Amino acid sequence: MAEALLEAKNVSKHFGGVVAVNSVSVTIEQGSIYAVIGPNGAGKTTFFNALSGFYIPDGGQVLYKGQDITTMPNWQRVQLGMSRTFQTPSIFPELTVYENLLIGVQSQQKIAFKLRLPSAARKKEIDARIDELLGFVNLVHLKDRPVAELSHGSQRLCEIAMSLSVDPTIVLLDEPMAGLAEAETERIMRVIRDLHDRLGLTVLFVEHNMRVVLSLADHITVLDRGAMLAQGTPSEISNSQTVREAYLGQEVLNRV
Amino acid sequence: MNRRQKQGYITAIAAVVLLAILPLKLGSHSVLSLLHLDVSILSEMLLFAIAAMSVNLLLGYTGLMSFGNAAYFGLGAYGAGLSIHYLNMNFIEGAIIGTAVALVGGLLVGPFLLRRRGIYFALLTLAFGQVFYFIAYRANEFTGGEDGMSFPRPYFGFPGWHMDLQEGTFYYLMLLVFAAVLVGFWLIVRSPFGRTLQAIRQNELRVRYLGLDSNKFIFVALLVSAAMAGLAGALYGLLIMFAAPLMLDWQQSGDFVMIMILGGAGSIWGPVVGSLIYVIGKDIISTLTQTWQIYIGALFVICVIAFPSGLLGTLLNSIARRDVGAPISEEAAPHKARESGAPAGNAAVAAEQKES
Ligand SMILES: Nc1ncnc2c1ncn2[C@@H]1O[C@H](COP(=O)(O)OP(=O)(O)OP(=O)(O)O)[C@@H](O)[C@H]1O
Ligand SMILES: [Mg+2]
Repeated sequence: MAEALLEAKNVSKHFGGVVAVNSVSVTIEQGSIYAVIGPNGAGKTTFFNALSGFYIPDGGQVLYKGQDITTMPNWQRVQLGMSRTFQTPSIFPELTVYENLLIGVQSQQKIAFKLRLPSAARKKEIDARIDELLGFVNLVHLKDRPVAELSHGSQRLCEIAMSLSVDPTIVLLDEPMAGLAEAETERIMRVIRDLHDRLGLTVLFVEHNMRVVLSLADHITVLDRGAMLAQGTPSEISNSQTVREAYLGQEVLNRV
Repeated sequence: MNRRQKQGYITAIAAVVLLAILPLKLGSHSVLSLLHLDVSILSEMLLFAIAAMSVNLLLGYTGLMSFGNAAYFGLGAYGAGLSIHYLNMNFIEGAIIGTAVALVGGLLVGPFLLRRRGIYFALLTLAFGQVFYFIAYRANEFTGGEDGMSFPRPYFGFPGWHMDLQEGTFYYLMLLVFAAVLVGFWLIVRSPFGRTLQAIRQNELRVRYLGLDSNKFIFVALLVSAAMAGLAGALYGLLIMFAAPLMLDWQQSGDFVMIMILGGAGSIWGPVVGSLIYVIGKDIISTLTQTWQIYIGALFVICVIAFPSGLLGTLLNSIARRDVGAPISEEAAPHKARESGAPAGNAAVAAEQKES
């Protein structure tokens, strides 16, 4: 069995009286593509936020490679190797695609705090890295455009490239395909495959579209009203009676 | 060197040369005397420009509104004045001590400011500014209280060489300092550090999720800003040979913000243009009427409404638009696509595909 990379143990988070996440435990093994699914308001984003340090959970533990990171500041988690995207792309809208990636590459190369311009050799290295990242998500042709001018799908891809710029071990993608047309969904699916197959990354993602989840993920957790409803492989999930009854429409599963 | 850089160098050199020849006499007149302006007005203009640049580093680049930079400005003036008055410091020492005192002020309040953002940050800078104001106001025996304190302008120089600074030579010294600050500022905002500040202005959360401790960057920006304002204040104290509580007051802070916004936040030259308009406008209008503040205020309101990105900003934008000639097709309407939210932007997609 592969080693556990990221673990949540009985993680809970509530907002006032609303229990957004209720004692959820998952174990994400190195090299897997792990999906979190559930209806609107199930607590998927809140769970992501607790894992990535956007919120400190009210209860439970988050472990990364066995280290307790429950209360670690978010930027330190990124340095450890966890990066993420957001349900609404979080980018630098007025900066160009190139500059958006530059911030991350500077961070990864530990030169973001420098007051001196990078040397010519270093600059070349940085530019090559940015080209590589843009090549990966197919945005090279938009390099010098302000990100605000890009389509929603391209902004998503730019954000994914940004999350890669820090050289992560695991990427957390919150609904990377939400609101996209079919063609762009395909494009992002291919990118997620490549993250795993070509870059050897571990991927944790939230997604509504059952077809996408069942074809991409090797492990799935189903959340419903903050609680864990089921957990397992795609075939276990699609055959689970609980999931069928509680969440998934019968026809959805029959089609797969 | 790319075209924009070249333009930057040319603008900088042209501006400094222009500023240098303004007071020069041709026959019995100079440009200044023809405008009935005193050379010390130009010194004031340069020093206010530096103070407005210190606000610009925070608002225009980092996205943090400071209504308290006059506190550093005043600390600089008092630091210089007190050290000259009580400790017999020379000009250079006075300027350095003034700057250092402002920096210490920044070190003291910085950790508290770091915890706040947006309007709370602005209010806290205002509150801290007033704390320093009241200290200067209250410490009667030491600072002269409400009336302020006069002090002499020491010789400029080092042991072995020194010169007397008259208004003219003082101005050229200020021009030198200003040029140095401008170059320093330009280097900072272009550096990896400066680019990270600009990223923080746009989206601090994303900066953190790129593995950067944004607080560390903001703290250093606060210190640089405090030191710049302190230097400007120390030299301003040496210019008018006086330090008073009003220099630390929120109204003074507001003037720096106004100067920056007049010219255009987020650009290197904006505060300089703003300062030119403010100082000269104030000088001309105040000879005509007692209630000059009303007119400056009105001018400010008109400018903000007519030129939302500042006088310089608006000018540059219009030049840039003519220059590049709308690289993005109109039907792409990218901004609209973005504002209308998620799945929009089909037009933008089309435009991208056309390009690729
Ligand atoms: N900051 C917040 N303050 C208060 N309540 C919140 C907050 N964030 C989320 N919630 C509530 O917590 C619950 C879970 O929300 P969450 O955003 O995690 O759901 P989700 O599964 O990501 O939904 P979606 O599919 O719509 O993105 C919801 O009831 C939501 O209203
Ligand atoms: Mg969500």
